[in-house]
Amino acid sequence: MRRYLRIVLLFARLEAQFELAYRTNFVFDLLQQVVITATSLGAVLILFSYTETMNGWTLPAMIVVVGVFYIVQGIGDLVFLPSAQQLIEQVRLGTLDFVLLKPLDAQFFVSLRRIKFTAIVEIALGVGIVAVGFAKLGTLDLLAGLLFLITLACGVVLVYVLLLVLGTLAFWFVRVENLLVVYEAFTDAARFPIDIYPFWLRFAMSSVVPVGIAVTVPAQAVSGRLDAPGVAAILAATVGAVAFGRWFWKTGLRSYTGASA
Amino acid sequence: MIRVYRALLLAQLQVAAQYRLSMFLYLLFSIMRPVIFLAAWSAVALARGGSVNGFTPADFAAYYVILTVVQHLVTAWNQYDFELQVRMGQLSPRLVRPLDPIHYAIAENIIWKSFTFVGILPVLAVIVITYGVQFHFALWQIALFIPSLLLAASLQFLISWAIASSAFWTTRTHAVSSLFDRTSFIFAGQIAPLSLLPGVLQQVAYVLPFGYIFGVPTDILRGGHDLPTSLVLMSGQAVWVAIAFVASRIVWRFGVRAYTAVGA
Repeated sequence: MRRYLRIVLLFARLEAQFELAYRTNFVFDLLQQVVITATSLGAVLILFSYTETMNGWTLPAMIVVVGVFYIVQGIGDLVFLPSAQQLIEQVRLGTLDFVLLKPLDAQFFVSLRRIKFTAIVEIALGVGIVAVGFAKLGTLDLLAGLLFLITLACGVVLVYVLLLVLGTLAFWFVRVENLLVVYEAFTDAARFPIDIYPFWLRFAMSSVVPVGIAVTVPAQAVSGRLDAPGVAAILAATVGAVAFGRWFWKTGLRSYTGASA
Repeated sequence: MIRVYRALLLAQLQVAAQYRLSMFLYLLFSIMRPVIFLAAWSAVALARGGSVNGFTPADFAAYYVILTVVQHLVTAWNQYDFELQVRMGQLSPRLVRPLDPIHYAIAENIIWKSFTFVGILPVLAVIVITYGVQFHFALWQIALFIPSLLLAASLQFLISWAIASSAFWTTRTHAVSSLFDRTSFIFAGQIAPLSLLPGVLQQVAYVLPFGYIFGVPTDILRGGHDLPTSLVLMSGQAVWVAIAFVASRIVWRFGVRAYTAVGA
């Protein structure tokens, strides 16, 4: 366990060195992130200038949704998405051979190898927005706060498994980098609570592409809209997803034929 | 020129035929955005007892269905390609040819937009059914919509060409492009029909070019404006097209001189 922690820190150091080589670009990325977040909040404020509640969601609860959206998307952008991109690239080029030869779990390596530090700003902005939402919601009891953290963790794991599965598909279909567009497009829709969407979209975003529940459920937890069965469902889904992801990765790996084969 | 364009269009068609799947995956994006805000506005309309300033959920759906079509046919992405071409030095061989590179971009736009257009139709059909949309087009609306759409497409294309040409100095234009896209996300009618934008924002949308890109053609076909207003807005489009044309030519002319060919 300590060994794996040390390796993650090593990955982080390598990536930091890489990113600091392009400082101007780094600054522009940060700026862009601030503008994107501000316009998203602006959109919510415009919607709420016409109403007090939206499908039962009040403005403070909606602000929490926006914040959670940037936290979840940010964590995906920080490690899981760039790592999945790298995995797909490595399968195509055959350089995954070198990963498999290393004396550590290959799933661990491909899941955390790449880190995109600018995403930390996204996460930080998300945390800030959630804090504002909490303050506007008023008193927050301990149980709700705890449920928020637990369901948020579940959501992040669900997003991780989704990206792992999409990356693993490269073992069979090789050119799947475009499939990541599917993830990004659906993630875009997670900015609003999924219950406002028509049935087919709601269904997609809580099953095949679970980014919807990953964002909506934690926000439900702090606005008193989450019941015990809901908590049980997301916990069960997370455990199931992790097991499935592991199995899918192993199965995919078996069809990997290497670069020169 | 007609012969040149026939060759260019044919070449682009062959490229497009190769990348069918990825093209349709990218369509997901252009479809998702309007659906997101359609759902949000419908929820607001229902919370207010059925309508927001006269917009019922079905009206919002009609608006966003037309907006998706407009957005699809108007959006230009040259700035992103062009940056890559400048950065990788791929532009150099094109500059040597006797044809202005802008024509390659125009041909590419025409082919890819018409090619992928078929892809968005089934999804739009699903939205039309889900929200029970009914369209009522007067003949003059259709007659004005087509020139308005062409003006909007030219405007967006020329702006993107001007931004693209600035890559001659800066090499990386990605930040500027995303900033423009993000601003138009608010002011061009994507997060809300222009008439629902709060006061100042609405004025900004009509003073700057943003509103004329997606909002004006959409509102004309939807029946959001009467005939005189539509004509006034279309002259606004024409003015902006003229400004963007001159600007893009100037930036291009000076840019080419400043170009030092990366990788040369």
